[in-house]
Amino acid sequence: MELQASYIQIVALLLFAIGISVTLTRRNVFFVLMGVELALNAVNLSFIGFAKTLPATASVAGQILPLFTIAVAAAEACIGLAIVIMIFKSQESADIDNYSNMKG
Amino acid sequence: MLLHLLVLAPFAVALLMVATSGFDSKSTSRIAILFGAIFTALSIRLITVGYAATSPIEWFTLPGTSTTLYYSLISQGINVWMVFLSTTVSLIALIAARESFGNNYKNFAIGIFALLGAMNGTFLASDAVLFFFFFEAMVVPAAILIAAYGGKDRKAAAMNFAIYTLAGSAPMAIALWYLLSVGTGSSAGHLFMAYQGVSAPIQTLLFVSFALAFLVKTPLFPFHGWQAQAYAEAPAPLSAVLAGAMSKAGVYGFFFWVLPIFGSDSSMMNLMMWIGLFTAVYGALMALRATDAKKLLAFSSMGHLGLAIAAIFSLSPTMIPAVLVLLVAHGLSSSSQFILTGVAERFAESRELKKMGGLAARNPVFGFLFGFACIAALAVPGTAGFIGEFLILLSLWQVGPVPAILAGLCLILSAVYMLRFIQAVIFGKADKVETRPCHKISPFDAAAVGVLLLLLVVFGVRPALIMDSLNGATQDEVVADMEDSEDVF
Amino acid sequence: MIPLWLIPLFPIIGTIALTTIALSSSGSKQGPAEGVTGAVAVFFPLLSFVSVLVLSLGMPLEGIRQTLGTWISLPAFQVDIGFLFDGLSRIMLLFVTGITTLIAFYSIGYMRGDKSFARYFAYINLFLFSMIILVLSDSLPLTFLGWEGVGLCSYLLIGFWHADAKNSKAGNKAFIVNRVGDVGFLFGMLCLISIGGSALLSYDYLNAWLLNPVSAEMIGTAMPLLSLAGILFFFGCTGKSAQIPLLTWLPDAMAGPTPVSALIHAATMVTSGVYLLARLSNLLVLIPIVLNVILFVGLLTAFWAAIAGLFQNDIKKVLAYSTISQLGFMFMAAGVAAFDVSIFHVFTHSFFKAALFLGAGAVIHSLTGEQDMRRMGGLIKKMPWTSLVMIFGFLAIIGFPGFAGFWSKDLILEKLYVSGPMGPFLYGGALLTAVITAVYMGRLIIMTFFGKYRGSAEKEAHIHEAPATMLIPMLVLSIGSAFAGFLWAGLIPGAEIFREMLAPVVGAAQAHASSAHAAVHLSPWVFAALGTLAALLGMFIAWKLFMRPMPEAKGDGEPEGFRASWTFAFDTLHKWIAVIPTKAMAWFLDVVINNIILAAQWLTMGIIEILGDGVRSLQVRKVGLQMALSLFGMTLVIALVVIYGGLL
Repeated sequence: MELQASYIQIVALLLFAIGISVTLTRRNVFFVLMGVELALNAVNLSFIGFAKTLPATASVAGQILPLFTIAVAAAEACIGLAIVIMIFKSQESADIDNYSNMKG
Repeated sequence: MLLHLLVLAPFAVALLMVATSGFDSKSTSRIAILFGAIFTALSIRLITVGYAATSPIEWFTLPGTSTTLYYSLISQGINVWMVFLSTTVSLIALIAARESFGNNYKNFAIGIFALLGAMNGTFLASDAVLFFFFFEAMVVPAAILIAAYGGKDRKAAAMNFAIYTLAGSAPMAIALWYLLSVGTGSSAGHLFMAYQGVSAPIQTLLFVSFALAFLVKTPLFPFHGWQAQAYAEAPAPLSAVLAGAMSKAGVYGFFFWVLPIFGSDSSMMNLMMWIGLFTAVYGALMALRATDAKKLLAFSSMGHLGLAIAAIFSLSPTMIPAVLVLLVAHGLSSSSQFILTGVAERFAESRELKKMGGLAARNPVFGFLFGFACIAALAVPGTAGFIGEFLILLSLWQVGPVPAILAGLCLILSAVYMLRFIQAVIFGKADKVETRPCHKISPFDAAAVGVLLLLLVVFGVRPALIMDSLNGATQDEVVADMEDSEDVF
Repeated sequence: MIPLWLIPLFPIIGTIALTTIALSSSGSKQGPAEGVTGAVAVFFPLLSFVSVLVLSLGMPLEGIRQTLGTWISLPAFQVDIGFLFDGLSRIMLLFVTGITTLIAFYSIGYMRGDKSFARYFAYINLFLFSMIILVLSDSLPLTFLGWEGVGLCSYLLIGFWHADAKNSKAGNKAFIVNRVGDVGFLFGMLCLISIGGSALLSYDYLNAWLLNPVSAEMIGTAMPLLSLAGILFFFGCTGKSAQIPLLTWLPDAMAGPTPVSALIHAATMVTSGVYLLARLSNLLVLIPIVLNVILFVGLLTAFWAAIAGLFQNDIKKVLAYSTISQLGFMFMAAGVAAFDVSIFHVFTHSFFKAALFLGAGAVIHSLTGEQDMRRMGGLIKKMPWTSLVMIFGFLAIIGFPGFAGFWSKDLILEKLYVSGPMGPFLYGGALLTAVITAVYMGRLIIMTFFGKYRGSAEKEAHIHEAPATMLIPMLVLSIGSAFAGFLWAGLIPGAEIFREMLAPVVGAAQAHASSAHAAVHLSPWVFAALGTLAALLGMFIAWKLFMRPMPEAKGDGEPEGFRASWTFAFDTLHKWIAVIPTKAMAWFLDVVINNIILAAQWLTMGIIEILGDGVRSLQVRKVGLQMALSLFGMTLVIALVVIYGGLL
């Protein structure tokens, strides 16, 4: 059975939905970050899935973009985690709602 | 090139200062002062050049209009001296700051250079949007410096300052956008033509929006709420820059933008003159009651600038040299006074006039400089202040006796509060400071302030050094020049 | 011929040198070397005096004019830095530089041991510079430079011992009251500019314009403004010369060192008002109303101050009121257009009043700071030379025949009498004032030098004759107060050198004025006899009243009761007219208006903050909800674009 393009999209959609729901519902900052990563990778998957539907010459763009995204996501995760650790140190809490004291 | 250097290089230097050491403040201060001196030298070169303009570089086209904005700078009679003030006073501030900030010097220097670039941009821009950009940009480093280095209530003062000035100039942004959208260009001449084309109520609205920005910045009554607090809370070197150079931006805005664009509206011009006069009297009377040394200076500064505004809107033929000389004199004397008051504050460990006193007996060099600065500030003939105030009196006299009498009243009141200030700070018994080890004013501070005071005397004896910059480029001609160069734009 | 700018150059070099000495020695404990400092301090005024002397001898009749360059140059306003050395400025400069040199010499002795020795002489040199500029300038703006400059030095020297707040307050008062007058001067200049442009500010041009028949019509139309200018200049003079209404500062100015009182507040600076009136004589004679104002202000001041002088116990205050009174005499002379006579009185007065002040200084010095005359007495035995000097000054000021004041005061009285229909009344008033002068001066001499010593015993032990550096200038001045009058002795035919020297400057104006009213002829001997009688009468009254044992001294010597209300009449007036309204106004602006503005500011900020707080409460502590909302919003936008995309 050949892998249908729509199956890939369905998986990507599921992954995205899981990522978003984790981001929105969890209060622990690490889970939130993981949710964001998951949603990001779901988009990558979606890209590749669509690339498969195109002829080989045109599909390259769809395969390169996820590579960029992965690189950027790695950097982002790095910085994001660093920030989270700093905040965690100062707030002594991993609860994301405790971080929202942006009052002047 | 000179103009570009004066506007852009300070920002570059500010970036460079980021790379300097935050722990070895001595070497940091040396390089900062070196750059400050270079900028001062450049500004003196600019005075000798006089009229200059850069070829405009296209910036962007304002969305919603067909007007293209340019990065274009111009120098002529008045603004070369404003640039001189901003560079000189920044240099003095950098020198004076050595004593007060220690390891924080680096960040202070970054702020001062950023402020210097913004001030020079404000004074030199010939494009209205560029002017507005720099005019707003001045607020940020100034507010940050107040918030970081100020006194007890520094946060509130910085907040007050930033909100007041930014909110004050917001209407101007809208008015400017409106004028640009109905007009064809962004120089004062173009804006004037655009202004001519709109209906009378909108004209008034535009005038009010423009004037508000400068009313707040100068500041004039009743928009002075931020000033005394900001000047008092800011560290003394920064107060010197604020009073000596930045406050000139408001006056300069009235002179270079409001007057060419809205000058035909004589009832508004008259109103502005009265506001200026009232501010002058108000500032003098408030200074009379001030109990805080820096607030006294802030109100004195407000009074002097009120006189300058009144003179501008008297529209007399002698007004331009009068205002120019007064601004230069006030810039030099108020900045030296702020720096000396900062020194006095260190000696007495308080800004309260009641807690100062006796400093002349304890520290004669300081007493000499302080007395000299205060006497120069009350416009004794032989100092530049006298030339400015006398010519302003003459300008107002041409309007009528009542404005002149009010200005004369300010002359008397300024003597009253300045003498009270001298008496409170350097005269009297030194009972409180007696217990502490004897402080001395640092030789660098003394030399820097001494140079400013010497300049005041030199300009007082030979005001032609300042006034000659005006030859060949009066206000009308500059406006005409801008209209001529339309095809360039 | 030496250039004119040398005259002011010397004292300014002296100022700079002494300032340097003062600042560089400020770190050391014992202060600057007094010998060197004193030599520098006397040397530069002396050089100035010598150059004035050299110039005076070779001066052509029409004077010397030199322009150094332009000061302010604008299309509408042009002023040069120029000097004018003519008959009037020659006389003024001669005695200004001469007396300054003498008093600087005296001060070396008087100020010995003061820590601020060099600073004192720097001020004295700066004062001389300003005074020279005032007198030597050829235009009103440059005169104004000197005018404010001397006021500034007066302020600095009154508050010289600034550790005592009382002294610096007196200095502030002097400067501020003078500032009020100076603003009048400034407005006078503005009036002249309105009439004929800034060229009129030059004395030469002004005189030429006023005397030119062509401009008569223009003068006629400008008469109201011209009168205003005259009044305003006179107002400036009342400030500097301590006349009604701006006279309150001079008695307080006695807080300064006594040589300063002698130099600035008796001999030189306070007479600059009289100088200015003489300078503007051609203008003033055209506006008789202003002359009348000057005349009556002078008479009132002379009379009021003479009475106030009677009430003082402080020896310097007596002399201060006497100075005000004598200045009133000078203004009276100017008021009847006898400008040469007024300058002559300035000249003689500078000798005898300086001698009196220096004598008083010597007394105070030897009594270690005691100024209350009720604690003096009998000093003639212990300080014979000082007493001699004082008695010479006394005889001169009351107009004892032969002494300097006799000649000049007599001339004033004579000019008053012949001035017009009001003449005899004016003469009577002035003669009465002369009698009172003799009374209060007699009181001063008697209380100080005669009778028994009434002070404390430890001070008595300390009493000594003044040192030579102080005595020599005093003696020179007392010789001047004895003989200076012979330069214009009205009774001796031909002794009119002084009048002849001034004639090129004020002659035209006085000719114009005297043609206005018919001359009254009376023998000068009658006036001389009456004047002498007045002096003798006053001396007799003083001898009768005060030559007896004094009651025990109580209080601080300030006058009390009616005497206080007379003495401080004008202080009270100033308080109600100027000080209290200003304070009330300042209070109103500070407490009422400023707080209204602050309240408005807080209100605006408060409303914004409340609004902001309300909006902010949507934002905090529900990160998940916010993200969900933003996702929802984004979906909505995308959906709208997808559905209506074609339309946009």
